[in-house]
Amino acid sequence: MRKFFEKFRLGLAIIVTKLTVFGLRLLGRGGTSLPGKIALKICPDIFFKLSDKFRIIMVTGTNGKTTTSRIIAGMLDKAGLKYITNKSGANLASGIATTLISALSLTGRPLVRTALLETDEAAFRTIAPKLKPEIVIVTNFFRDQLDRFGELYATLNSVREGIQGSPESKLILNADDSLCASLGQNAPNPVIYFGLGDEVYPEEFLIANADAAYCINCKSRYEYLSSSFGHLGHFKCPNCGYERPVAQVECTQVLDYDNISSTIEIKLPGEKFAAKLALPGLYNIYNALAGTAVGHMLDLKEPDLVYVLEGFECGFGRMETLPVNGRDLKLILVKNPTGFNQVLKYLLTQKENCVVGFAINDKLADGTDISWLWDVDFEILSFMQNKVRGFFVSGTRAEDMAVRLKYSGIPSDSIFIKHPDTELIDSMIEASKENETMYLLPTYTAMLDIRKNLKKRFNLKEFWE
Amino acid sequence: MYELNICHLYPDLLNLYGDRGNIIALSRRCEWRDIEVKVENISIGDTFKYENYDIVFIGGGQDYEQTIIQDDLMNGKRQEIVEAVESGKVFLGICGGFQLLGKYYKTNDGKEIECLGAINIWTHGGDTRLIGDIVFEIDFLKNNGENYRVVGFENHAGKTYLGEGVKPLGKVIKGSGNNGEDGFEGAVYKNTFCTYSHGSLLPKNPVLADHLIMLALLNKYPDFQGLSPLNDDLENLAHESLIKRFIE
Ligand SMILES: [Zn+2]
Repeated sequence: MRKFFEKFRLGLAIIVTKLTVFGLRLLGRGGTSLPGKIALKICPDIFFKLSDKFRIIMVTGTNGKTTTSRIIAGMLDKAGLKYITNKSGANLASGIATTLISALSLTGRPLVRTALLETDEAAFRTIAPKLKPEIVIVTNFFRDQLDRFGELYATLNSVREGIQGSPESKLILNADDSLCASLGQNAPNPVIYFGLGDEVYPEEFLIANADAAYCINCKSRYEYLSSSFGHLGHFKCPNCGYERPVAQVECTQVLDYDNISSTIEIKLPGEKFAAKLALPGLYNIYNALAGTAVGHMLDLKEPDLVYVLEGFECGFGRMETLPVNGRDLKLILVKNPTGFNQVLKYLLTQKENCVVGFAINDKLADGTDISWLWDVDFEILSFMQNKVRGFFVSGTRAEDMAVRLKYSGIPSDSIFIKHPDTELIDSMIEASKENETMYLLPTYTAMLDIRKNLKKRFNLKEFWE
Repeated sequence: MYELNICHLYPDLLNLYGDRGNIIALSRRCEWRDIEVKVENISIGDTFKYENYDIVFIGGGQDYEQTIIQDDLMNGKRQEIVEAVESGKVFLGICGGFQLLGKYYKTNDGKEIECLGAINIWTHGGDTRLIGDIVFEIDFLKNNGENYRVVGFENHAGKTYLGEGVKPLGKVIKGSGNNGEDGFEGAVYKNTFCTYSHGSLLPKNPVLADHLIMLALLNKYPDFQGLSPLNDDLENLAHESLIKRFIE
């Protein structure tokens, strides 16, 4: 009887969830969170019940989750696996529940066998032990929206707890991130590390901005053989010996690099090949390596791996190019100092004249504290100042952003505050010439506003499509 | 030509929430007035001699990082920091730096962690974090004849209390302030200024930034005549837009 009731509860959750999704669609809204919330109310142990129905791959970490998930999705396609995945930031428990239930028939039978789940770091702690993922990918740990998560080490620990509750999951970890790699220390799980080879991308080490300069075990200062960005690099603790682990999936050379792509050499156990990523920026090399590690786990070989890496295009908001009035509008999401710095470096590869816009909001999903703007190295923009026809700022914190630009050395008379977004886009069009590029860097909710705005004028897809 | 030396204590560890924005603001506002500025980063193992500097800054870190500096701070730099404060050096302590300058931090489970004891304040661990935008009013700084309002962002679990001889920096208009109880924010003792308002405190509150610069110049050049005004249109716009949004 009890068992019957339990089954009934799952069934009820499935039906109600599907109805809610259907209803929201009828209202023209993307239902990613509410249906799952209802399902969790009706059936609180729903993740336990769903774990047997799917082969689950979870992607977590502070930066690059979405891009990495998209690359993994390409790998799954290539391996011929049908899968369900969560989209557009639905990476909390409710969004994940909605996603999984939408892949069940009304009788609770899975319509696909694989689920690829981008998972919020805090949510990972409780969800992972219940879902028992087969593979867990952790991209990295950078400071992100600290006002919501408390502290970086709390974020790391919540992922660590999630992994401790999933001792059989195969782990794919960033070798160059001392915090991320520590998840593999003394863990019973099988681990594959990915990273950049020594001296592949040597860069001046900006110690003042490092998130983790001191050993996680013994608090001595790490020595770095080389570094790529942020605190990522070949670290070694001179005291306890904790060091960057050997990476089985490694970028051994950057062969070419410009503002839209990079060509890299990747070494895997038993093979080595070059691939041209249709993604700019060093941070995307890490995302590509994480994706390649999953492809390797799925037994994909060189031609297939290269096919996926080269055919991959940016997902929602991470970087999109839209034609607007004969110009290219490049939208790039910014959400924390490390990611922002990488985007600014990418801007420096711009050769032609352009305009640059920032849309900074301080809503909950952006992080209500915007003081992190002061940790971003806007000072490097002075290197491209002669190519920028104007800096435009918008959003609820436009004025804060304007002050930040001024203190980075940009003259006040080339900083323009524009409210609302329509005016921002119009003035960027006006300030630029045909065939030029307009870069627009919004925070998360500013991105949603801007897309809504552009949707009216250009035919943009909905997020949930 | 005037010259100021700024010391940033533990910038590699106590650098939470854009604290370096304050160093950037002090430097730029000096440069724009042709005051020469040197910023020196002093961290673990480095010798700190307060007499070499005109302004000393200490920010906040994560718990983990604050434990790393504990030994270096208490057994290495403590004496110099106490003397710097006592001698009237311009000192700015924010968030964790504010707490560290005090006598002790008592954790939730009753453990008392000894701090520098440079100023007569102490902190008790709280159950909830006090997070959000904050506006407070400083009565010793005037702007157009009115008390100067500072806008900032606070994020702290500790509740700080002021003892004898220490005055609050301001009166809270919006937000929690030192402890969420007495309506005050920050602390002032001699030329030491402390606050929970982190990150872009000085860039957005130029009157406070200039006050610190002026005190430092007066310390060093007793015949100093006063700062030349700057065009603060953008700063004031940021300042006013937030005041308007939060309290009007
Ligand atoms: Zn160590």
